Amino acid sequence: MNEATSFLQLVVTAMVPFILAAQGTMIAGRAGVFNVAQEGLMMLGASVGFLVSLKMGGNLVGLLVAALVGAAFGWFLGWVTTRFRLDQFVIGLALFFAATGIASLLYKVVIGVTLKPPLIDTLPDLEIPLLSSIPVVGTVLFTQDVMVYFAFLVSGLLYWMLYRTNLGLKLRSVGENPKAADSLGVSVARTRIWCSTAGGALMALAGAYLPMTYTGTYTEGIVAGRGWLAIALAFFGGWRPQYILAGSAFFAGMEVLALRVQVGGVDIPHQFISMLPYAATLLVMMFALRWASVPAFLGRNYDRESRH
Amino acid sequence: MTSVDETRREVREGASGPLLTMEGIRKTFGSVLALDGVDLTVGRSEVHGLLGGNGAGKTTLMNVLYGLYRPDSGSVVLDGSPVDIRDPRDAISHGIGMVHQNFLQVDTYTVTENVVLGTSLPSWPSLDLDDPAERIAELSKRFGLTVDPHAKVATLSVGLRQRVEILKALYRGAKVLVLDEPTTNLTPQEVDSLFGSLRAIVDEGMSVVFITHKIRETMAVCDALTVMRDGKRVGTVRRADTSASELATLMVGDDAAVGRVTEVVTAGMGAAAGTAATGAPARDLGDAPVRVSVRDLVVLGDHGVPATHGVSFDIRRGEVVGIAGVAGNGQVELAEAVAGVRALEKGAVEVDGEPLAGRPTAVWLESGVAYVPEDRHRDGILPSASIMENLVLGAQRSVRFRKGPFVDWKAARRHAEEAIRAYSVKASGPSAPAAALSGGNMQRVILARAFSHRPGFLILHNPTRGLDIPSTQFVYDRVREAAAEHSAVLLMSEDLDELTHLCDRVLVLYSGRIVGERTRGHYDQYELGHLMAGLEDTA
Repeated sequence: MNEATSFLQLVVTAMVPFILAAQGTMIAGRAGVFNVAQEGLMMLGASVGFLVSLKMGGNLVGLLVAALVGAAFGWFLGWVTTRFRLDQFVIGLALFFAATGIASLLYKVVIGVTLKPPLIDTLPDLEIPLLSSIPVVGTVLFTQDVMVYFAFLVSGLLYWMLYRTNLGLKLRSVGENPKAADSLGVSVARTRIWCSTAGGALMALAGAYLPMTYTGTYTEGIVAGRGWLAIALAFFGGWRPQYILAGSAFFAGMEVLALRVQVGGVDIPHQFISMLPYAATLLVMMFALRWASVPAFLGRNYDRESRH
Repeated sequence: MTSVDETRREVREGASGPLLTMEGIRKTFGSVLALDGVDLTVGRSEVHGLLGGNGAGKTTLMNVLYGLYRPDSGSVVLDGSPVDIRDPRDAISHGIGMVHQNFLQVDTYTVTENVVLGTSLPSWPSLDLDDPAERIAELSKRFGLTVDPHAKVATLSVGLRQRVEILKALYRGAKVLVLDEPTTNLTPQEVDSLFGSLRAIVDEGMSVVFITHKIRETMAVCDALTVMRDGKRVGTVRRADTSASELATLMVGDDAAVGRVTEVVTAGMGAAAGTAATGAPARDLGDAPVRVSVRDLVVLGDHGVPATHGVSFDIRRGEVVGIAGVAGNGQVELAEAVAGVRALEKGAVEVDGEPLAGRPTAVWLESGVAYVPEDRHRDGILPSASIMENLVLGAQRSVRFRKGPFVDWKAARRHAEEAIRAYSVKASGPSAPAAALSGGNMQRVILARAFSHRPGFLILHNPTRGLDIPSTQFVYDRVREAAAEHSAVLLMSEDLDELTHLCDRVLVLYSGRIVGERTRGHYDQYELGHLMAGLEDTA
């Protein structure tokens, strides 16, 4: 396998947390719920995913439990912002801190302080028959672990659901004009709660993937800002699943490149490359206004009896 | 889902008696009593007018019917059986459709997507919108509501967007169609076409509830009507058995009060009688000199695209000039530009010969520019500041309110007390927060501020929107007073009746250009409507 192929293979692996966390942000956001707890939910997902895998012996169980915990957090955000109309940003930040704290706490309670951290198995590569034998493409796209396939599948399903189904038509209307949706019998609260729940699950999955593919264990710095980047990626991708998928290739590419530069001793500061996704997002927000369309009611609560 | 045809059959075969009865509807918002035991009975196949001034409770009553507000008490009977409407979904399933004053549409969706939203449609393998689009086209044709089912609603005019709203209700098989002030922002031609569609709708067995504050509209289209005032029903009459003056008395209360506000309720009545020219004959301004001169004005809109393209006009001392036009044709930008709030891209604004373009706001204010913005909550007032503070705002530099480097709050308080009295502001005192005021009282405070420095150039943008009848009359009186004191007045309004009633001259704004002009004595609402629609001036 040559240098370029292995680089691309790494990039595709690195895309997974970006795809999942940003699609989670997107699906909640398209219904109007602006979740800003990604970083925390990814930490929690990483911690829970790791601990469950370790204690119950199985990555899939770990992923599943992490997703459920993330879903619970997403549900809570959706519920308090619709039922009590609390400020989405404030609750989101509170959830970020809570999730971050619980993540570390769980690890300390279960594992304690050890010299040699326990390890779990990383996810094995699954070669897709036939497809994986295509040169380069087969290695890059079809010799990957199960979560890579899952992330691409989720992106495709979200695209289909949003733009090709009646459910998607209703969902998007809740984020664009909840009053219009409400007046036609679409339940704003229910839609928002479900989307926020699904979003939380995807974010926690994004986090749970990290110990299962990179480190084999949980560390405090494991998420390393990927959650915040996922918010940027949602904007970068114009809150559309297909562009988020494409954008995650760029974000992941920069991540792997920064790592290579660090190891390879090239004379570019790796911080400069790590900064590029943020800079690109800014540029998109500034110059591609039409592309970077943001749901009109993103982050805004809806009150049916409000007189204005 | 029931189709229009089934509705028609159901209604025709159903029991006789009224189609809709609402009884003893009561609704409070906090401590405010919005509806005080209101009754409403709507017969079959009729256009039923719901007439009243702003704040009478018409919209609130219909929001209760549509499940947007939960009433404190009262009952609704539809087609002979009592119904419990908890939310819009219930209302729709009972065959109630409502066209809100602010259209409830998703701008980024097509007409078809907006119409089918919330209905159950199969999604596997993907959502099929061809059949609904065909049905929409068929309904359009049948009721004279032509619109392209595949157009994005954001690209449509107000008149077309309203058709989309009506189609939404018809598509769902509405038996009762509620329209809230549907003629706002329509040209007279569009109003005629709307009324034609309403007749076609009731001819097929449905009923229409038509909310309006304009007597002349109820006389033109309604079979029966209910008049509301202060959250109460004050009368229900057949159109054939009533007159405009009886309706005016019902709307306002007592005969003495009618005298004081008569021009508000009867503005535009001339047009109802079918006469082409309305309003009093031209007022003689003599050789009054030009006070305001606007030349080749180019102003950018919020998206950086020019919203006006070289607008020029003069206003003489004591002259009231109106700007007619469908909202969104550059009114906001023009108003803000001549008020000194929005930067001019090109062009000049002079007041009494003094060029103001590019000068600081303080200079604009000193030269006598006063602005009453369209959105008073957002642009007109500081909601959490007191009435006194709001009244001083903009005049804080003047010697009247200054004491060395500080504001003279004693003088400010005296001024505020005076203004509250002179402008009949209903408030607990000068220290009350402005947010606590009702729309009408808020507008009185804004007018008091505009008038307190004897404005040389007064800009009013939709100054009576949402105001009750006495407050509207109050605004009309102040406009005349300003003109009598030689102010130049620029009045931008969505209400053609108001413009032809108050203005010496009306300019029509279309797509950021002045496309026509009429002077008092030569007003023809249809001609103005023709211009407002962007059609060539044929006169």
